[in-house]
Amino acid sequence: MPILAMDTATMVSSVAVADNKKLLAELIVENKLTHSETLLPHVEQVLNMAGVKKDALEAVAVSVGPGSFTGLRIGLAAAKAIAYGLNIPIIGIPTMEGLAWHYPVPGITVAGFIDAQKGNVYTAHYRWNGDNFDEVKAIEVLSLDDAINICREIYGPVMAVGDMVAKKMTKMESLPENLIIPPKHVLMPRAANIAMAGLKKLAAGQVDSVMDMEPIYIRKSEAEVLWEKRQAKLKQEAQ
Amino acid sequence: MDKVNKDKDKIITLAVESSCDETSVAVLRGGRTVLSNIIATQIPIHRKFGGVVPEIASRKHIVNVMPVIDEALEKAGVTLQDIDQVAVTYGPGLVGALLVGVSAAKALAFTLGVPLIGVNHLEGHIFANFLSAPELKPPFMALVVSGGHTSLVHVKDYNSFSLMGQTRDDAAGEAFDKVARVMGLPYPGGPQIDKLAQEGDPMAIDFPRALQEKGNYEFSFSGLKSAVLNYLNSMKLKGIEVNKADVAASFQHTVIEVLLAKALDAVKETGCDTLVLAGGVAANSSLEKRLREVTAKNNIKFYFPDKILCTDNAAMIGCRGYYQSLAGNYSDLYLNAVPGLALQDL
Repeated sequence: MPILAMDTATMVSSVAVADNKKLLAELIVENKLTHSETLLPHVEQVLNMAGVKKDALEAVAVSVGPGSFTGLRIGLAAAKAIAYGLNIPIIGIPTMEGLAWHYPVPGITVAGFIDAQKGNVYTAHYRWNGDNFDEVKAIEVLSLDDAINICREIYGPVMAVGDMVAKKMTKMESLPENLIIPPKHVLMPRAANIAMAGLKKLAAGQVDSVMDMEPIYIRKSEAEVLWEKRQAKLKQEAQ
Repeated sequence: MDKVNKDKDKIITLAVESSCDETSVAVLRGGRTVLSNIIATQIPIHRKFGGVVPEIASRKHIVNVMPVIDEALEKAGVTLQDIDQVAVTYGPGLVGALLVGVSAAKALAFTLGVPLIGVNHLEGHIFANFLSAPELKPPFMALVVSGGHTSLVHVKDYNSFSLMGQTRDDAAGEAFDKVARVMGLPYPGGPQIDKLAQEGDPMAIDFPRALQEKGNYEFSFSGLKSAVLNYLNSMKLKGIEVNKADVAASFQHTVIEVLLAKALDAVKETGCDTLVLAGGVAANSSLEKRLREVTAKNNIKFYFPDKILCTDNAAMIGCRGYYQSLAGNYSDLYLNAVPGLALQDL
């Protein structure tokens, strides 16, 4: 039974259809067109290419961040409506866990670097356990320099993945010796990875609910941050 | 079932609206029977920020959208399989907010294999009148007054409009919100001004009116807004305490008289016998009362939507979508949000 997967967390828009035996079809597009325009046409095209009728889908897996707030919501809104319309399970996959699936290799660490704006990154680390990935460092926001430097402490090779690797890290000097910058086509999101991670979770019964699912934002909105700062200041002045 | 040849009065439309701070989903039978119209409002969430915060609005929409769809279907007593078409607001509005509704609606239409209809939110506001008044038919003049828009539209037929004029700068609703904020009234400011104005003297202060020449159907409220702010400032500098109720009443009176005069002229010029009021500011009781008086005096039929249909809601989007579908005006799966979508001749 096939699973539909999508990833719109970054500049890449990707849709895949896979089952437990193989990847049936996949589209990975990085162009100037917005995800909101192209995501549904891509879903339709990939299902056609795979020869899979939408009624045959068993589940929908979607990349839930962190990443571009708007991109994540476009993907999640579409995934929710498809899962609801077909009455099938929905499975959220952290974007960097999806990225880790580029390297299901024992003995190495995969480190995600997703653009969090203003020189910051969302970062998390994963290790392959022979069957699935373990999150060995939870998702957090760090300055790019700090996120790179913590990789120095890791024993063994570290594969750097994510949009910030392509945007910034390929041009940087004095990176940690154990940090490996892979070629550009194997460090950006792809929906096949979301499908693989999704199939694992589906088999384990780890599904989400379309009724309350949210992207993983990590960061609050600017307005909330400013409001909290102002409240803290007022409180300080009052004391 | 052959959905194309289905009796058009029985067409079931599911409509989605998420252009600002309300997540709304409605189910309609035919063009005018509202089976459900669920509205999840975020007003209390945005109040502490003094206005709608786009990112927070978008975050609420993505959580609310499916429960609201689910509730709308349940309340309407229909299942997904009964849905013949999906209508959705694609603009104008906040881009991040619009995208949630557009993305969900596209995916739902695709999944159900039914047509998709992208709807202009402002046309939706005009069509809210068809839901409140079953006997209403085009042609008529529509005065659209909402938070972001003020315009006069000659609705010649269900799918034929002519834009008489619109705002050059601030919309009436924007002026209301800004004046309310400066006077320290809580968000949203429009209803607060309206309430306060009931206790004030509308003739107390003479505020300026712009673009008064005959035959000019454009609006401008930025000068009026500045005049009110200047008045409040100068009184403060002089240490004179202002009567806020008088300020609210005089400001509101000025806005209403401008809207009224232009709407009446437009009705007369086009030979319409009907004026309809549309948009969020249509809920302003003084505007509605004054328009009712003056239209009655001039033998003009006057309509305005029920209060719930004046706010942002999906029922009006479903109504507009239904009439678009009768003209074959559908969208494809490439439909995108257009935050600056305008009212245009059609």
